[in-house]
Amino acid sequence: MNTGNIYQESELVLLLKQRHEHAFNYLYDHYSGSLYSVIVSIVPDRELANDLLQEVFIKIWRQIESYDNAKGRLFTWMLNVARNASIDAVRSKNFQQSQQNRELTENVYDEGGSIQTNTDKIGLRKIVHKLKDEYKVLVELSYFEGYTQDEISKMLKIPLGTVKTRLRTALFQLKQVIKA
Amino acid sequence: MDINAYIQSGIIESYVLGLSSAEETAEVEMLRIQYSEIGRAIDEFSLAVEEIAMQNAISPPPEVKENIRVAINKKKPVTDTVAFLGENKKEVPVVPFTKTYQWKMIAAASIILFVASSFLNYYLYNQYNNNKEAYQALLSQRETLQVNNQMYQTQLKEWQLAAVMMADTGMATVKMHSIKGKDDAATVFWNKQSKDVYVMVNNLPEPRTGKQYQLWAMVDGKPVDAGLLDPSCVSVCKMKNIPKAEAFAITLEKEGGNRAPNLKAIFVMGSI
Repeated sequence: MNTGNIYQESELVLLLKQRHEHAFNYLYDHYSGSLYSVIVSIVPDRELANDLLQEVFIKIWRQIESYDNAKGRLFTWMLNVARNASIDAVRSKNFQQSQQNRELTENVYDEGGSIQTNTDKIGLRKIVHKLKDEYKVLVELSYFEGYTQDEISKMLKIPLGTVKTRLRTALFQLKQVIKA
Repeated sequence: MDINAYIQSGIIESYVLGLSSAEETAEVEMLRIQYSEIGRAIDEFSLAVEEIAMQNAISPPPEVKENIRVAINKKKPVTDTVAFLGENKKEVPVVPFTKTYQWKMIAAASIILFVASSFLNYYLYNQYNNNKEAYQALLSQRETLQVNNQMYQTQLKEWQLAAVMMADTGMATVKMHSIKGKDDAATVFWNKQSKDVYVMVNNLPEPRTGKQYQLWAMVDGKPVDAGLLDPSCVSVCKMKNIPKAEAFAITLEKEGGNRAPNLKAIFVMGSI
């Protein structure tokens, strides 16, 4: 493990908590690309993804106080902020309506309003697609689409206990795939 | 506790990816203090996920950074610091805001119009009240003037009559002198033909309340009631008809007069 990086990260967090703007600039320059890829892996609409990236960085700036580096890495925290914001956006009523409209338009004219990303080919989601189907679907629904295990159990008609253990196995498998 | 089995159960990955339940999260956070292996496994997977994201980084459009810079330099709401997990269910940025913006404009415009018209109404109502008061004042002023005018007209007529009467050669004029020597307290006019009697008050003191002046005619040495002096009479006041008299006297009597004069209260006398 690189202790130099950890020290740098805690220093960065300290500067962010003191509201140093140059620390925020560094944070953005360093992490915007990776967080954007996280958002884009969940939200296909690029314009919405841009708005979300903005929202996520504003949240990080305003809520940096609530980050505790004893509980995990800064990136892990920011990743969760980005994922939560993205899932909220995707699961919101407005978004689902606009997606339906888009699909209708595409059927007729074969073109959408704004740039759409193929979310399956981005970052972690792409790796998840290497898993067996029965594992893949659980990670997809829970991590990328934000369904609760209870919802998944009803959706797939699998007992809740099975969803729980199978998802755990799927995530451990995912780790093995990443390592490989 | 079999830590290796725990680590290989998928709980670590579930925790790092934010998929663990609240109890599971608390459990992991407690165990990582006890078992350094757990902490290491967490760091390892966190770093792996971070590296994937870093390797797959996609450059966002440059304007996003500028938008953020502008947004965070604005005054921020104080209430914004909340725990981050699953917290932002409410604020979703996908709103068709051109429409709501229009409605906001319309609402704002109507509020402004309403406020403006309220002020105007208030102003006009005040103006109206002021004018009404001024008008009422003018009305009452006009009434007073009219009454005064009538009063002067009546007085003028009385004085005209008095002047005609005094010019009449058949009129006997009796100057009434006070007993204390004060001259010209009143004048009695006696028409020798018609025997009418008039009194002109020149300088009688104001009677006390409950008292009134009474005129007497001395006929064959005896006083005869010639009438009460009306306090409202300002010029020449007509009294009773007296066929014959040697002298006149004015006494102060009780209000309404007496049948016989109170001779102690003689104010003025005058003989023909």
